[in-house]
Amino acid sequence: MLSALPEAISILLSLEGILVLMLGTSLGIVLGAMPGIGSTVAVAIVLPFTLTMSQAPAVMLLLAVYAGSVYGGSIAAILINTPGTPQSAATCLDGYPMAKRGQAGLALGWATVASVCGGLVSAVVLIFAAPQLAAFALEFGPIETFALILLGMTCIVSVSTGSLIKGLMAGMLGIFLSTVGGDPILGEMRFTFGNWQLFAGFNLLAVVIGVFALSEVFIRASAPISNVSELVTFSGIELPRWSMWRGRLRNLGKSVLIGNVIGVLPGTGAATAAFISYAEGRRSSPNRAGFGDGEPDGIVSSEAANNAVTGGALVPTMALGIPGDAITAVMLATLTLHGITPGPNLVQENPTLIAAIFAGFFIINLLLLPLGMALARVAAPVLRIREGFMMSAIVILCALGIYFVRGNPFDLLVMGCAGFIGFLLRRQGFPMAPLVIGMVLGPTLELTLRQGLILTDGNFLAFFTDSPIAFVLAIAALLALMIPIVRNFRTSKKD
Amino acid sequence: MPPTITKLKQESVIVQLLLLITAIALYLSTFKQGFTDAEAAQSPMFFPRIILMLWIVLNIIGLIQSVRHSNVTNPIASWWRILLVIAVTCVYVNLIGSEGFFLPSMVFALICLPLFGIRNGVLIVLFAVAVPGVLVLLFNHMLGMPLPTSRFTHYF
Repeated sequence: MLSALPEAISILLSLEGILVLMLGTSLGIVLGAMPGIGSTVAVAIVLPFTLTMSQAPAVMLLLAVYAGSVYGGSIAAILINTPGTPQSAATCLDGYPMAKRGQAGLALGWATVASVCGGLVSAVVLIFAAPQLAAFALEFGPIETFALILLGMTCIVSVSTGSLIKGLMAGMLGIFLSTVGGDPILGEMRFTFGNWQLFAGFNLLAVVIGVFALSEVFIRASAPISNVSELVTFSGIELPRWSMWRGRLRNLGKSVLIGNVIGVLPGTGAATAAFISYAEGRRSSPNRAGFGDGEPDGIVSSEAANNAVTGGALVPTMALGIPGDAITAVMLATLTLHGITPGPNLVQENPTLIAAIFAGFFIINLLLLPLGMALARVAAPVLRIREGFMMSAIVILCALGIYFVRGNPFDLLVMGCAGFIGFLLRRQGFPMAPLVIGMVLGPTLELTLRQGLILTDGNFLAFFTDSPIAFVLAIAALLALMIPIVRNFRTSKKD
Repeated sequence: MPPTITKLKQESVIVQLLLLITAIALYLSTFKQGFTDAEAAQSPMFFPRIILMLWIVLNIIGLIQSVRHSNVTNPIASWWRILLVIAVTCVYVNLIGSEGFFLPSMVFALICLPLFGIRNGVLIVLFAVAVPGVLVLLFNHMLGMPLPTSRFTHYF
């Protein structure tokens, strides 16, 4: 991978590369700052436009929007006490009280520095951990890959917020949708019911945008019309002086570590990391007495951890092809749409792309500092935009993006249906991330299962008795599936 | 039980029932589709049947849970607003292919903005013309990536 670094850097330093990194990070910050848009919707909105780009800039744009939006969420959290993204919810607890004291600029300064530190360390973790993990997974045949995908599928359990059964059902729906169209081995048509438009299956992009972005618009339309919150006085970001960090560096280091560890674990996500880190800061920080009343350590705990998750979450996504959360599931879908198969072979087959992604991710996190400082002043007035304008613009952009990709009006219909079904399901507490995970991992699961059955003469048990790796992965999958179920059962019994 | 909770519970049960009926219908349809002879595990319907069976089992558990426990879904603030937004969006995405991008987008924004509580007529018209207009200019003329045009105008 190191030999591909010069070529990767030349891609990043080209005009297109620089523009993509700058524009993507800026767009991410602004979209992340808009309450309710969130990182997943931000990435979904940008996704169709990447399909006209070559592979490296396209992935870079999405990474920039992802990292930028996670940081951008803190702007709304601090200035209007409404987290722009769920992962910034913990930032409200100390950010807003600090802003109300007239220190909004300094609060954003703490958030900016903590986010940059968290993001940079997570980029280093990504650079070192992902190739090691991928190198190990290179030995995998169809049986081991099947067991690995099975393990990946169990992250449906951890991303199923609310109801486990509903999460699993959404996962099954996603896998089923992936079976529509041609059979992967015999090529015969399944569930097309004579409609030739379905011969190639459902357009993944149309489904992803429908269930995330369009259903969000419908959910907003079903809620009471919101009035925009009042902004506190804010005249620009003020970075904390070096002396202010005395006694806080330990808390920063601990938060970055928590974010990275949680990020690598599939299905936990940045919001969980931020709250765990905040709770740890509140327990161990020397300034814990001030938590909740505008204590900078509270902002640092939350922001360092949520940005540290970004690189960590990309480790299993890139190395094994297993998405860690909803956003990485969308990223995985994007890579697939670009003809890139994330997984063990990616590092060997496409070292330039991988090197560009890793180096680009590092640069994106560096860019957060100057762009964050410049854009916070621009993003602040955006918080005053009425919801109606935002929602109408989202629908128009989604429609434009979907039509633009293949010029097929049927995809727009699929997006509309996915949006409506997503709205109905989300109202009933069905999480949408498992649906996307199922749709992305479903084809590989089916293909490797059937290939494995050919290799073992139809003996499914031999999958686990003949391959120790598959056996270990299957046990891990079983544990990953059972632990939350047992925990849920115990909690419900207590209640 | 308060009437709102009862309504939400009914909504949840109806959605689960619809999902169950869909899954059963799809499962039954797997037996009606003809395929070349292959051993069971290599049949094109082998994997979908497993998935549909799991879907049905999970759906039955979900349905029982919905009947036994009340749901925490937020009530709909305004039924006419959400129904109109869904209807307008569905018509909009269907019209782009035949009527072009600009005109349906403009009409969509003109209808949708008041539904979201925007009352300023000037802002509504400005947004409805400017946003799709800028996108058409950008894609058709600057990026050279043409968006669909209307059969009436041929220009946008």
